[in-house]
Amino acid sequence: MAEIDWKETRRYLGLHRPGGTVDHRLEESLHACGRELTAVAVPRAVWKRAELVREGKNVLSAGGIRLESRSLFRHLRDCRGVYLFAATLGAETDRLIRRAGLVDMSRAVMLQACAASLLEAWCDEKCDELARQVEEEGLYLKPRFSPGYGDLSIACQQQLLEELEAPKRIGLTATAEQMLTPTKSVTALIGLTPDPQPCRTGCSTCKKTDCAFRKTE
Amino acid sequence: MDIRDELGRRMLFFDGAMGTMLQAAGLPAGEIPERWNLSRPDIIREIHRTYLEAGCDIVLSNTFGASPVKLENSGVGTEDTVAAAVRLARQAVEEAGRGWVALDIGPTGRLLRPTGDLPFEEAVSAFGRQVRAGAEAGAELVLIETMSDLYELKAAVLAAKENCTLPVFATLIFDASGKLLTGGDIPAAVALLEGLGVDALGLNCGLGPKQMAKLLPDLLDWTSLPVIITPNAGLPECVDGCTRFNVTPEDFAASMLDFAEQGAWMLGGCCGTTPDHIARMVEACRDVKPIPLTRKSRTWVSSYAKTVVFGKKPVLIGERINPTGKSRLKQALREGDLDYILREGVTQQQSGAMVLDVNVGLPDLDEGAMLCRILPELQGITDLPLQIDTADFSAMERALRLYNGRPLINSVCGKQESMDAVFPLMKKYGGTVIALTLDESGIPATTEGRLAVARRILNEAARYGIPREDIIFDPLAMTVSADQTAAATTLEALRRIRDELGCKTSLGVSNISFGLPRRETVNAAFFLMAMQNGLAAAIMNPNSRAMMDAFYAYGALAGLDPNCTDYIAHCEGEASPTGPTPAPSAGGPVLSESVIHGLRENAVSAARAELASREPMDLIDRELIPALDFVGREFEAGRLYLPQLLMSAEAARSVFDLIKAKIQAAGGEQVVKGTVVLATVKGDVHDIGKNIVKVLLENYGYRVVDLGKDVDPERVLEAVRREKVRLVGLSALMTTTVTRMAETIRLLRRDAPGCLVMVGGAVLTEDYARQIDADFYGPDAMSSVRYADRVFAAGK
Repeated sequence: MAEIDWKETRRYLGLHRPGGTVDHRLEESLHACGRELTAVAVPRAVWKRAELVREGKNVLSAGGIRLESRSLFRHLRDCRGVYLFAATLGAETDRLIRRAGLVDMSRAVMLQACAASLLEAWCDEKCDELARQVEEEGLYLKPRFSPGYGDLSIACQQQLLEELEAPKRIGLTATAEQMLTPTKSVTALIGLTPDPQPCRTGCSTCKKTDCAFRKTE
Repeated sequence: MDIRDELGRRMLFFDGAMGTMLQAAGLPAGEIPERWNLSRPDIIREIHRTYLEAGCDIVLSNTFGASPVKLENSGVGTEDTVAAAVRLARQAVEEAGRGWVALDIGPTGRLLRPTGDLPFEEAVSAFGRQVRAGAEAGAELVLIETMSDLYELKAAVLAAKENCTLPVFATLIFDASGKLLTGGDIPAAVALLEGLGVDALGLNCGLGPKQMAKLLPDLLDWTSLPVIITPNAGLPECVDGCTRFNVTPEDFAASMLDFAEQGAWMLGGCCGTTPDHIARMVEACRDVKPIPLTRKSRTWVSSYAKTVVFGKKPVLIGERINPTGKSRLKQALREGDLDYILREGVTQQQSGAMVLDVNVGLPDLDEGAMLCRILPELQGITDLPLQIDTADFSAMERALRLYNGRPLINSVCGKQESMDAVFPLMKKYGGTVIALTLDESGIPATTEGRLAVARRILNEAARYGIPREDIIFDPLAMTVSADQTAAATTLEALRRIRDELGCKTSLGVSNISFGLPRRETVNAAFFLMAMQNGLAAAIMNPNSRAMMDAFYAYGALAGLDPNCTDYIAHCEGEASPTGPTPAPSAGGPVLSESVIHGLRENAVSAARAELASREPMDLIDRELIPALDFVGREFEAGRLYLPQLLMSAEAARSVFDLIKAKIQAAGGEQVVKGTVVLATVKGDVHDIGKNIVKVLLENYGYRVVDLGKDVDPERVLEAVRREKVRLVGLSALMTTTVTRMAETIRLLRRDAPGCLVMVGGAVLTEDYARQIDADFYGPDAMSSVRYADRVFAAGK
């Protein structure tokens, strides 16, 4: 089962920046939040393999969903298939963070960071499984590409969830404005490529170059 | 023939999967199945015909996804497709000469507020459109299925009940551990559905027969209603991108026979089942004689997640969300400070409350509107059942509609007017009621008199079909200082109601001690005596140590606490350390040091000690403000991290609360630097950034009007005008919602030109903020405080 990556969690909280002191109390609070989160979060994921059709310049279709995006088109240029993917930590995670925020905002912030890390770890774990499944076909997984990355609009969120039956299978829905609820959730397209993939982080594709959390590698 | 007349006389069978059949008939990926009701009617009719031929009794119309919420912008109209689908099913049934047509209703695909964004009443009216169209086209029952959210299910059942007179069946999708995706369990589902008066309930989808077999005994244990079981043909497996189900018709039929013999009355198939599965199932189960239902008489209430059963161990109902005698709560209600009220809920739960009383009645406040604001929010943060406490019957109805579960209702009494108002509401929405043993002539002085009122209430309830276990009597604790026989009368009434009427009892315990010194001592002693006399529930203050001590000690002494585990845990909880403890009486620096280090309890006890000898304003000016300034500078210099800044802020907030209460008690006015309106913009549901800014602004002396998340531009404008505010803070997380931020700013520029706007959020940059015409971009939590300081200092 996926676990919280403490290094990532500290990074989300800005604790990796030099200058301050992560004392024993902060460290202990953070781990207490981690325990509380793990007790409440119910990670679930659902995926479906689909053929990738190039319908025109910068227009793809997968699982009956039309996707118009230059960045996605480029990201998947050597792929013939994709996994449609969705994962969530469940509604109780949202409740936990909201509840914490009412009485102690510092805990809400730490829970939030733990949740982000656990969700990433959970997605990575599922993707590792998928990678093993396609390995024998000589295929590799591209990094997850989510609606909202690059110029891929989040307007496809609803269709993606419907195609995956995500509301009924993992309790993941989108609002009228295509925001995922529960909020600690991910949807993504994962390309299948014959090229072995060096890494799976998405920071280098993001245009927010002044982001405090940007990974520089 | 009404299907209800056939229920229990023989086994009844639903059809199998529609989706599986449609895919086999060539439905392409991404196509809306409901479109085929209009474009490929022959195929739909043929599927129904095949299932009827396989022996099923009930066919489901092809309307699972026909919610207007789902079909918006699809080019398929709900009414058109529902009517067409029901007519197709009718034609098949008429051709076969047997069977019933069920209007099939699936979920909207959206989550309701506050977890999601769909307003409850919008869901009710959307389901209502499906129900009306289906009923008009000739459906003979409504089947609400594959529901994983009890709140949405409640909206659908209400819509069915309000828009037709057909029988209503409901089935839910559980995971293998018996949990709904939204957190509820089987008893919570049963409590809700039985309260709403559905005709049958059960399980469908999600699991195969093997996994459902583990859940069925639990369901049969909890419900008094006919049970429906419609599993998938196993768990889905992914083969070459296609979903497959692997349980064969033979194995399926064998499991279904087992379910029938255990007590399920209606059987059918969900995803992956075929006419073959149905034929085998009918063949195997046709001759099973349905096991008669047993009525489970239980006094209980529920939330979205869990149930509380009133039994031997008293149920603690937290009384703190009730403005009577609480000036801080009154202020919070008047100012619409929901967070304060929610906090009262959270702390009571932490203290051990099992149900929360919710009373927001103030003479100058629209009680119904306030209840409707606070209830969904409370439901969003606590899994405790709520007690809806109001004397305003229209407010009561609005609250009962919105409540996500089987509520505790406070209260009804022996007055005809009260019973005429409350019992019909209970009948419609379900619930357990607290019944006060008083009537038109007041509170009877004798035990006998109170029992007589109780009997009248039971008789009147029975006329509505409300059973006695749905009524908890409160024989009223009168002030013992005024009448020294008061306690004895009440205690005797408790015992006799339990023994002679077979009903549960409850008391507002603290009334007993009015006018006496050291009220807690009297309350706790009376509480013990009441429990000894059979008290099943107490409306009390769970933050009171004396009361909780009495409760846990009683549990241990009465043999209700195996190994005294709860009592020991209660004692340990109180002794828990909260970090290094500077001596609280050591003088000045302790308070500021505690705030700087974010030690909340220490800060509060230091402040309490200081307040004995120092003026409140002196503490603020010389301790709190310097400490917060120091912390802010340390954060800005990178020497403190965000969680540490917030720990300090929380410590300071607790001290401010204490000081404010002191100032208020002395009749003084609080000094506020200025008022700031905060909102997470329309479309965005991520509000943690805004909440961080709120906590900090409040601590640095600002009053914050928090509009919440997903806020329309118009609401921001309206708040700015109402509060005459000079500064607004907007937060957005996603690129797409930043455009909503721009919209909000445009509106403010046009209609509230004097107002400044600061913005923040993950995807924003300085440049972008300038582009959308914001006055200030806050890259981190402190910067908004600094900006507010500049804005309001310049204004002076």
